[in-house]
Amino acid sequence: MIMKTGTMRLGAALAAAAFSLAGSAWADPAPGQYNIGIISDDTGPLAAAGISYHRGADLAIEEINANGFAGEGVTLNLLVKDSATDAARAVQAMTQFAADRTVLATTCCIITPIAGALSPIAMNNNLPLVIYGATREGLPQEPYVTSVVALPGPQEVMMSERLASELKPKRVAYYTTGDNDIFLARAHAVKAVFEEAGAETVAEISTLANDTDFTGPATQGMGTNPDVIMVMTTQQPAVGIISALRQRGYEGLIGTSEVISPPAIYQKSGDLIEGIPFALSFQPGLSDSPEATTFIEAYQAKYNELPDVYSAQGYTAIHYIAQGMKAIDGEPTREKLAEEMWKITSIDHNLYGGQEIVNGQAQIPETLIVNWNSDGEVALWENQ
Amino acid sequence: MQLFLEQLVNGIALGSLYGLFGIGFGLVFATLGILNTAHGAYASWAAIIGYFAVVWYDVSFPVAIAVGVIGGGVLAILVDQIGFQPLRNRKTGMLGALITSIAFLIILDSLAGMATNHQSWAFPSRTYPRGMLDLGFMRIPYMQLIIIGAMVFCAAGIYLLIQKTRIGAAMRAVGWNAEAASLGGVNARMVILLTAFLAGATSGLAGVLGGAATSNISYMLGEGLLLKGFAAVVVGGYDDVRGTVLAGILLGICEVFIAQYLSTTFRDGFTYILLLTFLVMRPRGIFGSGNFMRA
Repeated sequence: MIMKTGTMRLGAALAAAAFSLAGSAWADPAPGQYNIGIISDDTGPLAAAGISYHRGADLAIEEINANGFAGEGVTLNLLVKDSATDAARAVQAMTQFAADRTVLATTCCIITPIAGALSPIAMNNNLPLVIYGATREGLPQEPYVTSVVALPGPQEVMMSERLASELKPKRVAYYTTGDNDIFLARAHAVKAVFEEAGAETVAEISTLANDTDFTGPATQGMGTNPDVIMVMTTQQPAVGIISALRQRGYEGLIGTSEVISPPAIYQKSGDLIEGIPFALSFQPGLSDSPEATTFIEAYQAKYNELPDVYSAQGYTAIHYIAQGMKAIDGEPTREKLAEEMWKITSIDHNLYGGQEIVNGQAQIPETLIVNWNSDGEVALWENQ
Repeated sequence: MQLFLEQLVNGIALGSLYGLFGIGFGLVFATLGILNTAHGAYASWAAIIGYFAVVWYDVSFPVAIAVGVIGGGVLAILVDQIGFQPLRNRKTGMLGALITSIAFLIILDSLAGMATNHQSWAFPSRTYPRGMLDLGFMRIPYMQLIIIGAMVFCAAGIYLLIQKTRIGAAMRAVGWNAEAASLGGVNARMVILLTAFLAGATSGLAGVLGGAATSNISYMLGEGLLLKGFAAVVVGGYDDVRGTVLAGILLGICEVFIAQYLSTTFRDGFTYILLLTFLVMRPRGIFGSGNFMRA
């Protein structure tokens, strides 16, 4: 009898343990449709990139809902508010999302000042904010503010090390965006690499983000007779500077950042940007993981053009949120979602062949050093 | 020395765009009494129209310029007749026209943003002169020569039109007092339409040429010209084409040399200081007459 009771107790304990384990392994969010807010940049000065981010996010939502990536019976719905890259509009949109209790998480921000402005709102309202574009160290804040975009400096440093090693330039000129501290820091990181390799800095030419005429800066740069010119500016100045340099007959090597990677930029600039190396982590034709292949095919089918690095980041942000959702047990809340997202150390569904997250900050994925070739495709850069 | 000369030409070319843009801006103010902030949108739209003419219909660059210029002129007439003529009939004065022009700037910029999908485009490189004139001691891009030539042609033409022709006399008369001019036999309505067209066309020309030279055709193109064109008009004098052109070129040269020899940081600051100085010290500008305020 005693044995029987003991056996029963053991059985009950094992059953309880089994149920407990099963409970955690089978943790599922309550089925239903949940709203995610995106503060997009569909209009405004960065719309070219902003539309890409938004499209990537839209595609991720479709994929998640079709495959149950956010949990059984769970679907996500994207609510859109366009900020036009205007800080005041972005803050207003974030405040509205915060007031709408049906919104479980938000995603946003190409530029750091806007991300910085929205972070306190996210923290004060316990509203998860996933940053998909802005890159400055220290943006993530436990547990509500996270970033799925790796800090860009190390990628360009790797590219610069390769350029310095293979080209051995003696004289290097740099173009910077004087009113953007992130790009300024990126330029200085690149400059340090070349100086470390023994190259003389012959010019550091400051431009402004809203400049459109670059004939003067191009003349100034070419006047210093550099072997290599590094254009480390925001997108519009980068394209303008490179165009002005090439049109004025500069034939030396120009290096830049991922800002010239979108197909729209090649469509606009054509041969002027061919052969110019830049570093990025995702590129159709070069990124060949199963997730990347599926994403590229779906993007092409939906938008009739190839995705770019920005659409990949928008896509990753939504999958990151979905992964957090799937880990929730029971009724999803903002607090639960934030906690689960903060625990994530690797985004399962990513386009980079692996994407680690440390303390809410994405780490550098694989780095590709590429250029636009004469066929209008992005290919791995080779020193000619 | 080569660097100095090349930067000088860069400055003259940049200033020519400001001057070209400013001519129309000043013309509308002097003749119609409107501080038309929508003037920037004409430049954006002309560049966009020229771009679409090239891309869709494969027209040559001169034809694209012509299409853009006419487009800018027609747009200016539409804005004038829809927005300003009713105010003119009610004699609402300068403030009402200014507010209306701001509304049109917002509307036209928004529409331009939609037309370009909020992206920046550029004329395909094969469609406009991309080469350089090699003078031995320096090289000058063909587009800069075209811009300078266009500015000289337009400035001379409009100056002669205003000062030496009956139409110009009528424009000056309407600018002084439209009712008195009408009583004197001037067809004020036609003068207004012609002035609006000329203003839109010169702004459009600045837009198309600037868009080609800087590889930047976007809905924000005109905004970049607006402040500088306004500064050229204030510094040069509202009612004198020569002053606007001279001030525009001066502004362009100063901008380029400040960026070259001082810092880009001070460049726009110089424009504001120049603007403020003239507004305080000499509001009628270098060449302007004493007739500064009219409604």
